[in-house]
Amino acid sequence: MHPEKQKHDFEPKIIAFVCTWCTYAGADLAGTSRMQYPSNVRVLKFPCTGRIDPVFILKAFQQGADGVLVSGCHPGDCHYIAGNFHARRRFATFRKLLEFVGVDLQRLQFSWVSAAEGGKWVEMVTDLTERVRGMGPMVEFKELAMEEQWSGAINTEELKEAYEAI
Amino acid sequence: MTMIDTTSYTLISEAIKTEAKRILTDGTVTAVVGYAAARRKGSVQPIVITTPEDADKLLFSKGAVNNLAVYLTKAKKEIPKTGRIGIVVKGCDLKALVGLMGESQLKRENLYLIGIPCSGVLGSIIQPDTELTEDTIAPKCLECDVHMPTGCDFIPQGAPITPELEKKYAAEIARLEALTPAERWSYWKEQFSKCIKCYACRQVCPFCFCEQCLCDRNKPQMVESTPRPAGNFAWHVIRAMHLAGRCAGCAECERVCPMDIPLNLLNRKMAKELKELYDHEAGLEINEKGPLSMFNEKDDQSFIK
Amino acid sequence: MSRIGVFVCHCGENISRTVDVERVARAAEKISGVAYACDYKYMCSDPGQNLLKKAVSEHNLDGIVVAACSPRMHEKTFRKAADAAGLNPYLVEMANIREHCSWVHEDKEEATAKATEIVTMLVERVKMNRKLQPITVPVTKRALIIGGGIAGIQAALDIADCGHQVVLVERDPSIGGHMAQLSETFPTLDCSQCIMTPKMVDAANHPNITLHTYSEVENVEGYIGNFQVTIRKKARSVDMDKCTGCGVCMAKCPQKKIPNAFDKNLGMRSAIYVPFPQAVPNTPVIDRENCTWFKSGKCGVCQKVCGPGAVDFTQEDQLIVESIGAIVVATGFELYSINEKPKGSAIKGYGEFGHGKIPDVIDGMTFERLASASGPTGGKIVRPSDGKEPKQIVFVQCVGSRAREKGISYCSKICCMYTAKHTMLYHHKVHDGQAYVFFMDARTPGKGYDEFWRRSIEEEQAVYIRGAVSRLYEKGDKIVVMGSDISLGIQVEIEADMVVLATAVQPRTGAELLAQKLGISYDGYNFYSEAHAKLRPVECATAGVYLAGACQGPKDIPDTVSQASAAAAKVMTLFSKDKLEREPIVAKVREAGCVACFYCKKVCPYGAVEEKEIRDRQGNLIKVVAYVNPGVCGGCGTCQATCPSKSVELDGYTDEQIIAQIEAL
Repeated sequence: MHPEKQKHDFEPKIIAFVCTWCTYAGADLAGTSRMQYPSNVRVLKFPCTGRIDPVFILKAFQQGADGVLVSGCHPGDCHYIAGNFHARRRFATFRKLLEFVGVDLQRLQFSWVSAAEGGKWVEMVTDLTERVRGMGPMVEFKELAMEEQWSGAINTEELKEAYEAI
Repeated sequence: MTMIDTTSYTLISEAIKTEAKRILTDGTVTAVVGYAAARRKGSVQPIVITTPEDADKLLFSKGAVNNLAVYLTKAKKEIPKTGRIGIVVKGCDLKALVGLMGESQLKRENLYLIGIPCSGVLGSIIQPDTELTEDTIAPKCLECDVHMPTGCDFIPQGAPITPELEKKYAAEIARLEALTPAERWSYWKEQFSKCIKCYACRQVCPFCFCEQCLCDRNKPQMVESTPRPAGNFAWHVIRAMHLAGRCAGCAECERVCPMDIPLNLLNRKMAKELKELYDHEAGLEINEKGPLSMFNEKDDQSFIK
Repeated sequence: MSRIGVFVCHCGENISRTVDVERVARAAEKISGVAYACDYKYMCSDPGQNLLKKAVSEHNLDGIVVAACSPRMHEKTFRKAADAAGLNPYLVEMANIREHCSWVHEDKEEATAKATEIVTMLVERVKMNRKLQPITVPVTKRALIIGGGIAGIQAALDIADCGHQVVLVERDPSIGGHMAQLSETFPTLDCSQCIMTPKMVDAANHPNITLHTYSEVENVEGYIGNFQVTIRKKARSVDMDKCTGCGVCMAKCPQKKIPNAFDKNLGMRSAIYVPFPQAVPNTPVIDRENCTWFKSGKCGVCQKVCGPGAVDFTQEDQLIVESIGAIVVATGFELYSINEKPKGSAIKGYGEFGHGKIPDVIDGMTFERLASASGPTGGKIVRPSDGKEPKQIVFVQCVGSRAREKGISYCSKICCMYTAKHTMLYHHKVHDGQAYVFFMDARTPGKGYDEFWRRSIEEEQAVYIRGAVSRLYEKGDKIVVMGSDISLGIQVEIEADMVVLATAVQPRTGAELLAQKLGISYDGYNFYSEAHAKLRPVECATAGVYLAGACQGPKDIPDTVSQASAAAAKVMTLFSKDKLEREPIVAKVREAGCVACFYCKKVCPYGAVEEKEIRDRQGNLIKVVAYVNPGVCGGCGTCQATCPSKSVELDGYTDEQIIAQIEAL
């Protein structure tokens, strides 16, 4: 009936921050239209992209997300008049910062998906999932989270001794 | 090696003393925030004076590195409440004051600005009695565009001498930008791993005026707050983001960092991006809205699918 | 420790087919803080809701996650049920495991795992939910109707008859809209003007209706119950109070050769004009673009001949502000034009029909004007090119509609019926003429509609050819119609005297601009979107704004009138109470943390943030902080994302709730 599902070695964690009026509704439409897409995405609903704090994106990566999607209403469609315009500047700036500190922006996707664009939602989620799958896990933040030292490595005899003594 | 002439600083110091004495005597201000000599030869420390007699303590020298704006927002919060305040400002410090006015933290009419025609000050780890040269000057001075402040209440005579020197931040940003994300990551990982979370950068920044920092909150804990690599990374990224479009470039964060993390590099990078994206630059004009509190319908969205 | 109840819905088989609901419920049980979990066939049914209510009291629940469909579907249902059981409705969250899971994934293992994770995230979120109380706001009992066609007039009359004030804004100099242009109406063939003009007069004379013609909505601020609407009254150049409507100015105006848009440019009008004789109000307007006075400063005849001295060349646009409680949008439609379309438009023209350059190829509305007794020909059907009576006439349906390759995939709904009507009107007026109709399908659902269509064939001798027209071109004074008859499987060529195109119904040009002013959403064609296609067909997602007529999608007159009355009923429901309860999803300032940088105020799209002084008992100023007016706050949360210290918080979407959800990842 259905083509045999391909098994992958790596299933990326994708987290999507979406506004309730456009993209969440677009994702609903993908559902009511019975479109199919990878099951890796977890959706967090916000009233507006204007509510989405850059801290959440950072937090998502730190919590183990391999890819983050941020999506809202097209310019001019914002239910709250201008929330998405403010968000656009905020994210344009934040992604430049992430890029500068070494986050591969291939893992962070921004999109406008309207309530009518179920197909575009599917495309966004599928593209990001497959791209991140190809890139492999986001090891950087995970490694960072595993590291314990507070200032450089314990690389001198004195420090080692002191550390052992604790 | 290019030497930078700072002989004018002696006359400027005299002019500051005279003006401070005058404005304290006639009651224009109730206090003056400025610089005074510290114990070590050539070193300088901030001072708040409230009497005309103390005016003789004031001076300006190549060691006058501090941005005194911070004394008006949080370090000495009680000062602004006493009435109109005189403050000695270099161009970079003035940008910070202007930014603070735009953010409703200060009112222009409550300040008496003594602007300094500034040729530059010493870098952060340089001995205070060293000559000012292209090697000893603070890197921020190499990119300074306000050697001569404007819009002040008083500016001593003086023509800043500003030889064209290599812009170190710009060069370093370009070097980092040319790296791969992985290389940049390891660069910053190395840098941030030095951080001991002393928050001196936060303490000294005139714009970190929140009474309850987001990064100190634990309900919810938005940001990992431990002095571990993960917490350090989060802190520095959020600090840079919160200063984006606001930072005036005084580089105090970098100066006070005991672990020598190149913090101003992040701030300069953000300034560069906001200039490219929205043509925003920290300047001497009071703007009610910064680049991240306004928008244009035609803003770039090439990064959005 | 929380006591959360988790209710997993099968939705018949909609969810349970791909999600092992029982396993999800068992997994939910193990999440810390979950006191009760179960699965049920239909959670939204009465027994399902009772199950939830019973569990609230039996297990002493302090939070609920219903894992079912989209919150957009049933969040209200379950919040109401919780409320009935004595639990604050805002302690209920929905885990969307249908639209976002079971319907979009096939692999049962994967879908079950995902559903479990979604539930976990929502459980963690609901632990952080706070009890919220609805906010009450006052309601201004005055309605604004945008558009004075049949939809707007009907809505205005219904609301006004109920005793409420109505402000009716019409862009054109007269109300009446498209219906005033029609000749006869299907399926009864009664004269459109005969049924329309009395309603126009009723609206104009109604004591509760304020009419603003030749006016446009300039700006809309505020929110349900409390809109502030700025209306631009365009300069008419005629004082409405002084004008008696005698018409001398029009008779004497030397500029008489201006094509009248009302007559689809078939007839001519003067520079000072009313679009049609029965216009309401019967006050002329000076068309400044064509008036000699405004072009050269000479003439002024109308002013000289006007007895009451009503002509005023110095009039300027006027901005007036009205306090409004509810808005009905009834801006109607326009017809697809087969001309070449500007670059970038998804809608293409018809090069194969000569891009509208053949004069005797007209659209349906032009035919209406030809057939109308008050039209430019007095009801005689003649060719625009030479005034001759067409003996062979071809009607082409679905021009633009149902033509994906032309950019429109929807059916315009009214064309089958009005084309049938056109064949009859034609046959009644040109007895020896022959009408042909090219059609894809005849879509005639509606009371008396199919009978009407059959009559056009059986009694009025219209010849229906099932097939498409591939090309139109001129040959002498004839138009050659090349088409196919797919029933017979042959090519057809007809030499016609006139061709009438049933062009698609489209939203008004610039419909999206009005939508942006109103903050309502629209679809890919710019038709306005209703809140729910089936259950809330006249409400917009934006509270307090309602839709009537073809601005929402193609509609015939009966449907339009029904929807207009429905919108009026919605407005009257809103106006039935003095105060309105609104969702408490608003921002609140944590004054202790606020340092008065007012970034929140700078970014607030609603201007809801004010500066508030905090003083001690002696009246000394302690500090200034931000304050959010809950009545004005739209609930977007842009302030919170912008606030550096997070000292302003949006209820329902607090950082605690969101971080809890992310941490559950």
